[in-house]
Amino acid sequence: MGLVAVTSVFSDAYGEECFTREVVMADSDKGNILDLNLDRRGFIKGCTAVATALGVSDALIPRMVEAASSAQRPPVIWLHFQECTGCTESLLRSSHPDIGRLILEIISLDYHETVMAGSGYQAEKSLHDTLEKYAGQFLCVVEGAIPTKDNGIYCQIAGRTAVDILAEVAPKAAAVIAIGSCSSFGGIQAAAPNPTGAVGVRDLVSGTPVINIPGCPPNPVSFMGTVLHYLTFKRLPPTDNLGRPLFAYGRRNHDQCERRAHFDEGRFAEEFGDHGHLNGYCLYKVGCKGPGTFANCPTARFNDVGVWPVSVGHGCIGCTEPEFWDTMTPFYERLPDVKLPGGLVSDVDGAGKTVLGLTAAAVGLHAAVGAVKRMAQCKCSGNDSEEEV
Amino acid sequence: MSYETVRVWSWLLRVYHWALVVSITALAITGWYVNAPWTGTTLEGVASMPVLAMRNVHFAAGYLFTGALLIRIYLFLFGNRFEKLGDLLPVTGRNLRNLFSTALYYLYLSPTKEERMGHNVLAGMSYLLTMLVAVFQLISGFFLLYPESSFWQGLGGAIFSSQQQGRFVHHILMWYFLFFALIHVYLVIWNEIKAPEGLISSIFSGRKFKENEN
Ligand code: SF4
Ligand code: SF4
Repeated sequence: MGLVAVTSVFSDAYGEECFTREVVMADSDKGNILDLNLDRRGFIKGCTAVATALGVSDALIPRMVEAASSAQRPPVIWLHFQECTGCTESLLRSSHPDIGRLILEIISLDYHETVMAGSGYQAEKSLHDTLEKYAGQFLCVVEGAIPTKDNGIYCQIAGRTAVDILAEVAPKAAAVIAIGSCSSFGGIQAAAPNPTGAVGVRDLVSGTPVINIPGCPPNPVSFMGTVLHYLTFKRLPPTDNLGRPLFAYGRRNHDQCERRAHFDEGRFAEEFGDHGHLNGYCLYKVGCKGPGTFANCPTARFNDVGVWPVSVGHGCIGCTEPEFWDTMTPFYERLPDVKLPGGLVSDVDGAGKTVLGLTAAAVGLHAAVGAVKRMAQCKCSGNDSEEEV
Repeated sequence: MSYETVRVWSWLLRVYHWALVVSITALAITGWYVNAPWTGTTLEGVASMPVLAMRNVHFAAGYLFTGALLIRIYLFLFGNRFEKLGDLLPVTGRNLRNLFSTALYYLYLSPTKEERMGHNVLAGMSYLLTMLVAVFQLISGFFLLYPESSFWQGLGGAIFSSQQQGRFVHHILMWYFLFFALIHVYLVIWNEIKAPEGLISSIFSGRKFKENEN
């Protein structure tokens, strides 16, 4: 199943009307022509946007365009496990279609449960054909966490567990791309108490290179950059120690944020809706997690309209980081709470003050006991007390 | 009663001690500020950069703290006989006896303790623990300070997994130092009152007083 098939899938699945609207919205040169194929201008625009995100020289753009338009598009098997399909949605339904269409243009999506036409037996057949025919060549994209508890029964497709499917597909893939925080680090499924034992791909797959594109959802540009890098240079881009490509996750949001000058200057929104908030001051005090979050949100931005949360007045919630549901909450506080014995939960400073207060009380008690003992000794032993003490 | 003076603390150890005092004080104050800046302004176009300045003081103090820590590690290995690790670790019979006698003495259960010119083993152990905590404080600090250094991200990432976790640990460990400072200062004053060795002056002069036997 190649691009043509995918085209028909789209018209099948969403109907022509919906599709026409998309083309009009796209302000395409071709006007209302019903054509999912990206025109050359859109194609090059998409490649250029991705090259910018990758930070490569514009001299390389022709090479990328060439790689992206080569006849041999790598087959892709897209596995959905414990997820909400938000990553697919954000990827394919961007308001400006260049990136979304570019993806369909340059890869051959052989198995994708959301957009493929086939179902049941047909779908499984397509999966196995690709596995056999393109062993060692296809890209495997994983969306969603993999539950490992109780033999993985909490996520099954066609009667097989996610653990099984991944164990069959991943070793045959040229590389695995984990898209979204769930397949990268477990995501919300893995949040305490992690009832299904959900883990990310890297916890299960070894031997095949795995790259993580975390985010909830990740920016389509980060995914596309990784794919185009792979097509152009025949290898995955360099990553950090969490397996995230450095071109997208090499800097912290805080270090690229347009409100950073307000931070350095001590101008803060103290609460939502106050003077500082209305004037676009730094959101640090209302819990912005930009200082601990590696991502390209302030530079790549979202929805093709140049925004990211902080630019519209909400702090970053740190969705690209491991265990973000456990460590970035409460979302409107600076630090997570501490769990104390007996099921008590407190903020760090509250707990710290209590411990310090109790210590001060213990110190006072110790000093008092010493003083009383000393007085008692003075009374009993009279003159030689000095020697004793 | 006559006393003799004994040279106990080398100049390097005293430098270490005071560098630690200065750096921890500065780090706690500026660190607290950076976590929850208590100045808020709506003035624009003044460029006084208070948060930036506080962070810079914090980083400078962090380097002082690192230097102090390195000195202490050096002295644990190559210092004089009162400063070396062997004098504090409760692994020899002599040190274990000192540990128990000190504990009883501190609990008012015994009127005297085994005399020791350097650290008593209980104090020595608490300093060792503090140095261990300091190592983690230092790693988490540099992990946060150098987000684009692969060395610190690799090391810090392996220990704390994410920057947010590193920051959380960094903040909790600050409370350890406040806790330690409170107990340390109290026990030093308590010992100063109870015993004639001159504990407080020793950290300035390096000398302690020892009672002559006869
Ligand atoms: S809004 Fe967030 S990311 Fe931006 S400067 Fe403030 S704390 Fe940093
Ligand atoms: S701004 Fe923060 S929470 Fe939002 S997408 Fe970027 S990393 Fe995730």
